[in-house]
Amino acid sequence: MSVDHKQVARRYLWSGLGFLLLGGLLALLIRWQWAWPGQPVPGLAWALPESRGALTPPTYTSVFTMHGLVMIFFAVTPLLFGALGHFVLPLAIGARGLAFPRLSTLGFWVYALGGALVLVSFGVRLGPANAGWTAYPPLSTTAFTPGLGQTLVTVAVLCAGVSAFTYGLNFVVTVARCRAPGMTWGRLPLTVWGLFFASVLNVLFVPVLAAATVLLLMDRLLGTQFFIAGAAAVGGGGDPVVYQHLFWLFGHPEVYILILPAWGMVGDMVSFFSRKPAHGYRLTAGAMGVVSALSGLVYAHHLFTSGMSPMLGRTFMVLTLLISLPAEVMFLNWLMTLWRGSVRLTSPMLAALSTVVVFGLGGITGLALGAVATDVPLHGTLWVVGHFHLTMGAASFLGVFAGLYFWFPKMFGRQLHEGLAKAHVVSSAVLFLGVFGGQLAAGYAGQLRRLYDPYQYTYLKHLLPLNQWTTACAFLLGAAQGLFVVNLVWTLWRGRVADANPWQVGTLEWTCAASPPSDENFERIPVVLRGPHALSQPEVLEQLGRDWVGQAEALPAEAPAISGPQPLLERTS
Amino acid sequence: MSTPVEGSTPVSTGAQTPSGLKTLALPENASTHGPRIDALLGWSHRIEAGLAAIALGWMLIAVWRFRGAKRAASDGGTKRSIAFVLGLALSTFLIVDGTLLVGSEGYLRDVLWNLQVPAEDPRTVRIEINAHQWSWEARYAGEDGRFNTPDDVVTWNDLRVPAGVPVWVQLVSTDVVHGFSLPHFRVKVDAIPGRVNQTWFQAAREGTWEVACYQHCGTSHYRMRGELRALSSEAYAAWLREAGRQALQAYDADDVAAHWGWDWRTP
Ligand SMILES: [Cu+2]
Repeated sequence: MSVDHKQVARRYLWSGLGFLLLGGLLALLIRWQWAWPGQPVPGLAWALPESRGALTPPTYTSVFTMHGLVMIFFAVTPLLFGALGHFVLPLAIGARGLAFPRLSTLGFWVYALGGALVLVSFGVRLGPANAGWTAYPPLSTTAFTPGLGQTLVTVAVLCAGVSAFTYGLNFVVTVARCRAPGMTWGRLPLTVWGLFFASVLNVLFVPVLAAATVLLLMDRLLGTQFFIAGAAAVGGGGDPVVYQHLFWLFGHPEVYILILPAWGMVGDMVSFFSRKPAHGYRLTAGAMGVVSALSGLVYAHHLFTSGMSPMLGRTFMVLTLLISLPAEVMFLNWLMTLWRGSVRLTSPMLAALSTVVVFGLGGITGLALGAVATDVPLHGTLWVVGHFHLTMGAASFLGVFAGLYFWFPKMFGRQLHEGLAKAHVVSSAVLFLGVFGGQLAAGYAGQLRRLYDPYQYTYLKHLLPLNQWTTACAFLLGAAQGLFVVNLVWTLWRGRVADANPWQVGTLEWTCAASPPSDENFERIPVVLRGPHALSQPEVLEQLGRDWVGQAEALPAEAPAISGPQPLLERTS
Repeated sequence: MSTPVEGSTPVSTGAQTPSGLKTLALPENASTHGPRIDALLGWSHRIEAGLAAIALGWMLIAVWRFRGAKRAASDGGTKRSIAFVLGLALSTFLIVDGTLLVGSEGYLRDVLWNLQVPAEDPRTVRIEINAHQWSWEARYAGEDGRFNTPDDVVTWNDLRVPAGVPVWVQLVSTDVVHGFSLPHFRVKVDAIPGRVNQTWFQAAREGTWEVACYQHCGTSHYRMRGELRALSSEAYAAWLREAGRQALQAYDADDVAAHWGWDWRTP
């Protein structure tokens, strides 16, 4: 079995895309229910014969529970870290592989085991998990959710956590220990910075998730009562709120785990395709670090309505609002990078700019949720859902596709069709705004999340047309993914062979490695001479007649400091 | 246990505004503190919309103006441009987050976390709520003013309060975590097994509104709906008197499930 990081990345890519499809279909079922409550879903009669294909309340609770779980633990995280991270990180820092190659293979198989458990859970009696993706006890304990499905899915989440911990640890050690000579911290691509900080968060906070799930499993299987209180507890009883603290101490950093790699890629791509160095590179990397440092200190804004002490409420309100400052710095740096650049709207650039837009809107709509007074009316409504779907859903998704369109030629040696890719990115971005904008509007008007039939409430009846409109956008969004599938299948089958450096950039994976790279990544380990964004430098234009220079490429006038290997220039120009 | 229901008033749907506008508006406000929180939300959303428009506009202008430009700047920012970014970020942060923080803090100090107001007001109505899968059980102290006595009035999915006086709610759950919310009153607090949470509100006028559960609490979560009636003081007093009299008649000392109240918690 290959332990090559590129092979592991491809495995994560295919399984991540598979789960993205599953999670997406589940999302469409939720949307269907809100547009046509209780009506049979066309083509679903085989799965739900008793209701002739209509969602019933128990099916519906499973559907939204599994949608959240699958998307976060089995689709977006594996695509960002498992696929793009595993593939790019060693190449971008000039390493022959990951620090612990066998650990990364092991991590994949643990993730695959978790994925298999998720799939199996759909087939067991009483169905898969249905206590919500947050699985708050006591609802998620056997007293209220007796099915085997909930147990299987809890184990699956633990598996995904173990896998995330292994690659987090692996990435941190790889970046710290395996960089090529000359690849100082100040020369790392922003993508690597994003992956690095997110990996640190994985190492710190995934164990907290593991603690929560293991204690929950003990409550389910061994009869302990960590999280069961009151009448449901036979003995002394525990405290359900302890689980909420543990869960969100992981859950909030998880938001940043999902978005930091996307931020990093956006930072790089905005620079690459503006043909100019990233504005405030150090400031951007520093801002990502500050966000990471604060990420574990803001989690309790998820608990503003749990009756926690006003002292804690105030503290977490201040800390939560504080995190928007470094985020703004980073955001403004992206805009400043575009300014006075030479902007090229390639498919990765369109995806990166779309990420900026949806992330910007997602971030801004979160402000009202950070302050206690404005959080109270919006808490638990679709406003929250729209907000986090813009940041964790749309922005991470578009980040994944920015990366995929960018590195696809390096991964497979073939070039995706640019026109189809652009159409896919732009239509997805617009439809994301339609879907999640519709959710924000419904939430502002008071629609609660997770309601099987929102129209049971008189004050929500008038939202039916809005929900139907949002559902239409969601189905179009689903259909738009066909553009990607067609592009992918056609390219892999008979696509054009890619240029060695199609985007004309200087990072190591494009200038020092073949496409696709050999098992060893590099013929010779490159010696890095400069940062990742050496674009439009006057002396480079003059000496090489192009607007970029490789990170390991010596200029004629520039005697290499260390007598290192020559980069593979003949492949790159 | 059940109480007589008078001619039931239709639940308010905020039917005054045309439906298109209503879609994008907050649920109609029915509480005396609502306007304050609505104003803060409105402000915050106006600022957010402005910020979004500026940022998006900036991006579009940059892309339009510099698309395929012949020359690109070769630096990653000058001292001046970096100072500009830091200054802009800091001032935006101070204005936007500052507005929210100060407004929120004021509301918390004066209303949400200020349980002195209901504690000091002699007219305050106290209600104990026990959340179940899938209904709201409410307990009123009755004539004697003490909870867990035979004249306690217990209702299901049927809250009654006098308009214009503080209503102080303490709540628990018997089974799973529920979320008690009065969307038209901007009130929301979790009902959690094993602990007593509290909040208070004040109805601005008479009428009928809905009680919703906003935490996923199982299969029939979506049907965990109650009604809240804000009555005139006289109608409320008359209802409580009659309901208390019926409760005394129906009192059964052996009905263990009926004895879930607690001594009122003082803040
Ligand atoms: Cu409930």
